[in-house]
Amino acid sequence: MLEFNAPLSTDVLVVGGGIGGLCAAIASARTGARTMVAEKADTRRSGSGATGNDHFACYYPKAHGSDIRVILKELRQSLVGAYHDEKLSLRFLEESIHMVDRWQEWGINMKPFGDDYEFMGHAYPGRPRIWLKYDGHNQKQVLTRQAKKEGVEIVNHLPVIDLIEMDGEIAGALALDVSKDTPTFTVIRARKVVLSTGTANRLYPAAGSPGWPFNTAFCPACTGAAQAQAWRIGAKMVNMEMPNRHAGPKFFARAGKSTWIGVYRYPNGKLLGPFVDRATRYVGDITCDVWNSAYTDVLLNGSGPAYIDCTQTKPEDLAFMREGMISEGLTTLVDYMDRTGLDVSRHAVEFMQYEPHIIGRGLEIDIDGQTSVPGLYAAGDMVGNFRADIAGAAVYGWIAGGHAGASAASCELKNAETSPWVAERAQLYSSFVERESGAAWKEANLAVQQIMDSYAAAGPHRLRSATLLTAGLKYMADLRKNAINEISVPDAHSLMRAIETLDLMDNGEIVMHAALERKETRGMHQRSDYTFTNPLLSDKFLEVWQENGTVRTEWRQCWN
Amino acid sequence: MPPVIDPSKCVGCGTCADICNSNIFVFDRSRDKMPQVKFPEECWHCDSCVLDCPKGAITLRIPLAFTLLHVDAGSLKPQEAKS
Amino acid sequence: MIPVSKTIDADVVIVGGGIGGAMAAIAASESGAKRVVVLEKCHVKRSGSGATGNDHFSCYIPEVHGDDVEPVLTALMNSLVGQAKDVELMRLHLLESFDIVKKWEEWGINMRPLGRWNFQGHALPGKPRAFLKFDGRKQKAVLAEQMKKHGVTVLNHHPVVELAKENGRVCGALAIDASTPDPSFVLVSAPCVILSTGLTHRLYVNGTTPNYLFNTAHCPNNAGGQALGWRIGASMVNMEIPYTHAGTKYLQRAGKATWIGVYRYPDGKPLGPFVTKPDPEYGDVTSDIWNSAFLDVMHNGRGPAYLDCSENTPETLAYMRKAMFDEGLSALIAYMDAKGIDPARHAVEFTRFEPILHGRGLDVDKNGQTTVPGLYAAGDMVGNAGCGLGLAAWMGWRAGHAAAADAANSTGSADLASNPAIKAKMELLSSFMSRNIGAEWQEANIALTQIMSDYANVGPYNVRSETLLKAGLGYLAQLREETNASMKASCSHTLMRAAEVLDLFDCAECIMRSALERKETRGNHKRSDYTFTNPLLADKMLDVTRKDDGSVVTSWRNMKH
Repeated sequence: MLEFNAPLSTDVLVVGGGIGGLCAAIASARTGARTMVAEKADTRRSGSGATGNDHFACYYPKAHGSDIRVILKELRQSLVGAYHDEKLSLRFLEESIHMVDRWQEWGINMKPFGDDYEFMGHAYPGRPRIWLKYDGHNQKQVLTRQAKKEGVEIVNHLPVIDLIEMDGEIAGALALDVSKDTPTFTVIRARKVVLSTGTANRLYPAAGSPGWPFNTAFCPACTGAAQAQAWRIGAKMVNMEMPNRHAGPKFFARAGKSTWIGVYRYPNGKLLGPFVDRATRYVGDITCDVWNSAYTDVLLNGSGPAYIDCTQTKPEDLAFMREGMISEGLTTLVDYMDRTGLDVSRHAVEFMQYEPHIIGRGLEIDIDGQTSVPGLYAAGDMVGNFRADIAGAAVYGWIAGGHAGASAASCELKNAETSPWVAERAQLYSSFVERESGAAWKEANLAVQQIMDSYAAAGPHRLRSATLLTAGLKYMADLRKNAINEISVPDAHSLMRAIETLDLMDNGEIVMHAALERKETRGMHQRSDYTFTNPLLSDKFLEVWQENGTVRTEWRQCWN
Repeated sequence: MPPVIDPSKCVGCGTCADICNSNIFVFDRSRDKMPQVKFPEECWHCDSCVLDCPKGAITLRIPLAFTLLHVDAGSLKPQEAKS
Repeated sequence: MIPVSKTIDADVVIVGGGIGGAMAAIAASESGAKRVVVLEKCHVKRSGSGATGNDHFSCYIPEVHGDDVEPVLTALMNSLVGQAKDVELMRLHLLESFDIVKKWEEWGINMRPLGRWNFQGHALPGKPRAFLKFDGRKQKAVLAEQMKKHGVTVLNHHPVVELAKENGRVCGALAIDASTPDPSFVLVSAPCVILSTGLTHRLYVNGTTPNYLFNTAHCPNNAGGQALGWRIGASMVNMEIPYTHAGTKYLQRAGKATWIGVYRYPDGKPLGPFVTKPDPEYGDVTSDIWNSAFLDVMHNGRGPAYLDCSENTPETLAYMRKAMFDEGLSALIAYMDAKGIDPARHAVEFTRFEPILHGRGLDVDKNGQTTVPGLYAAGDMVGNAGCGLGLAAWMGWRAGHAAAADAANSTGSADLASNPAIKAKMELLSSFMSRNIGAEWQEANIALTQIMSDYANVGPYNVRSETLLKAGLGYLAQLREETNASMKASCSHTLMRAAEVLDLFDCAECIMRSALERKETRGNHKRSDYTFTNPLLADKMLDVTRKDDGSVVTSWRNMKH
């Protein structure tokens, strides 16, 4: 058995030091609660927002007018708006501008174009724009600095690997110290826990370069840890069966497609979409937000490939685009293009649809960010009933952290390390280290990807069905059994990856259980055995959770 | 992917190993003069190490499989127009 | 610069010591060639797709089939290996096949494991069966011994990376000595070269395990040998006609017809119309006829499809297990045993694999002679004369005899090291070895598979079109340029792989050029811009040739009946 360090104690434990986690931690600390962030890498550069971001969804009455519902409608019709409990979206919008003010005050440049906030891009022609354009290149460093200033304790290289529940409420977490070659365990006792582990990647084969599972649009170290850990202690998930696919440059996977200012064209020059024939910094080509499978469609019907063409974009907007890419954290891409002589004023770059990943699907939260497990909160990309990407993570992190901090005092701190669950999990993980030779974690991860791609694929060109999903669940169970019996890891780093892989297996199973229950076709969830979209399910969400080892599902009304 | 450290510029501060998003470096300050890229396949090309290296000692080498596919934009024309 | 460690003069050089290559070497020697040299990438005792066995040999035996070869020929032409082949060659193969079989038996390969000429499986119900069941476990060792007996010089661990041509005739080969970690070059001058490098894999994203290049149905070391002929101007044929094998998921292994069972949907219904319970005589040929069966059931949601062997008698199951060993599937059996997978109780899922070049490649005559004088080819890398073990053995045999006669009147290169193609290849490969930071060969190979799977993919779920193929050719050119400028290799093994990738690039280009020219839809060559099948092309084959100035020309020729 691997060694245990002395347990740590805190009032509020934040799992994951990304945008949501750091904002939650600061809000919690401001209530006077002792607050700790346990981070897998280093909060200065971790997660999908590591090197930047440039757009923040926000309702700014001064620019948008007094009717919040106008902006709510734009949010719901945007790429991020599909599966929301609207009362959460409204609270988010109400509080969003205050978060922007705070970021500006802390040192993130939310006004790179002058004295006031500007809204640009990601919009339909002639419609209100909800995305505040900012310069987030230093966002993680600023938030880290601010968290420390507010008294938050940040522990880097300490990924949480399991949650501990005692007497029906959260009691802390089991973490893995990966700061040294030899891994050790640390139990963190906490009165409240806020999960903020980001998107789940590496669940499907990388669409661009299937030989490289880390060539992903979002951070590949984010692997659905929150969903898996919360699932294991019975928390409810929603919308896990609804696939999500991002798009962007081919074969170089990188989020931030909307930072490009250009139009999408066929090889014969014809435009892909109906929206704009010339892109500007204010209104780009939104075609692929609306027509998600565009780039796949043109390959499968032979009319492609499809390119983004920026040659008609004005030189000042091209310079603006370059700045935007740096703000968005795409410096690798910019450097690469410079080095290889790829010039967007002359060259058209092919775009593609990336593999499915999990964003805005996962934990069901209430208006305060609390999950169905008392004392357990969630904020950010792994929440299932609200999504606004970086802004959503920041604002709902703030809400959840504030609520957790304010209510922490009323709970007792339990000796979480005494839970039999800790011993059980620690034993399992230790066995991977104790086994001298066996399967590498990567084999297991790739096998998960193969199964998900074969049996729980995303439409429109691939289908799901009861027989396929049932086969997939059977194979995933076989894989889990084999992996548990065979994985062998040489060091702390690889153990972390192996545990991520087990988390991915849970995510895959949740997706398949939920997909089996959604007996209709909706969006990219295409069922060959239920080819229609059932209007009776339009205002319902599917909850899925585990109870005494049994998977349960239930439909509920959306909260409007 | 992967980061390539120029040994003539590296001062062994370990910043890259600390801040890497994917924990791909190993650096034992008591043993090593400079960090080693131990898990190059797990690089996400996020660029943090390049941006934060105080000596500008790191470049990312992009694998051939990530080649950014592009054409001359002038070629995006109907076939007749080209000839 | 990588040093030259050996310079050899030979009469006949054989590239690849698999079934075709070994037969060619023995035949050349029998025909009087004095200096017969086999250059083998691995080791002739265990190399290539036939390394550990095979259990079916396409063959016509009058005492079994009767005096008329034509019904057997029809059955063979309708089988997986008969697609788009010259009937004339297939007929000749059948007529001469029994002689080869008898020779193999005499040498010690067990051609009658049941004590009689047993034709079984791989067949449509009620039709003649063209595949002789045999026990090929020792086939490579026996052929290696015969080569030795015939005085053939075998250089194991000597992959050939380039051929030379002078005055319009092949004149030698450049090999790498990969027997030690530090590579050296070996120059072999000869008036005749016989290519027998097998199938080509690793061109497309792996159909089962996309992250593993080497999980292939046939030997993944066979990669791009067609390119050796292509670069010196030999015509290639059928390169644009896709071939996809099928078998167990996710562990790829050829030999699906060794399984005796019924393909079933999850609800138990049989996939195909041929059998409803296991038939040891014919097998279930559904997936030979309905190539996309296993993909279709995934795409329409009715799958997955399983092979169900549970209704076999214990005797048939025991026979199937034995045949799997004969076929060389011992690793699969060991895995199933270890995991407790029992065909008597468990149904195994099957899938279609990624496209490979199997029976696509060099255009040859009945002696295996290509369009370049002195250059011969035999086996799975031939484009018009069938594929599979029986055909490789037969064509190798003919090519060996013909080359020996041809060599008697010609000479190889006097100064191979000065040949421009050889010199350029030596310089390029040396540059890979001198680079410390650069691209690994895997990156380039994977990049190629990405391009092929996106721009030259196969039906029925993917289409080709002029815009896609042209985009693919453009990207391939970029990749080639970047690879030449940045690839690195650290030892003879990775250098060999790097050279394979260069060969794969040429095969890919050849496929895309031919696919552009085939302006129709035929089989899994699906053109979105030419969606019909043109009856005027039904009796034609497309040759594609690289000229000495680097330009590529295509021409249609009639099939030979």
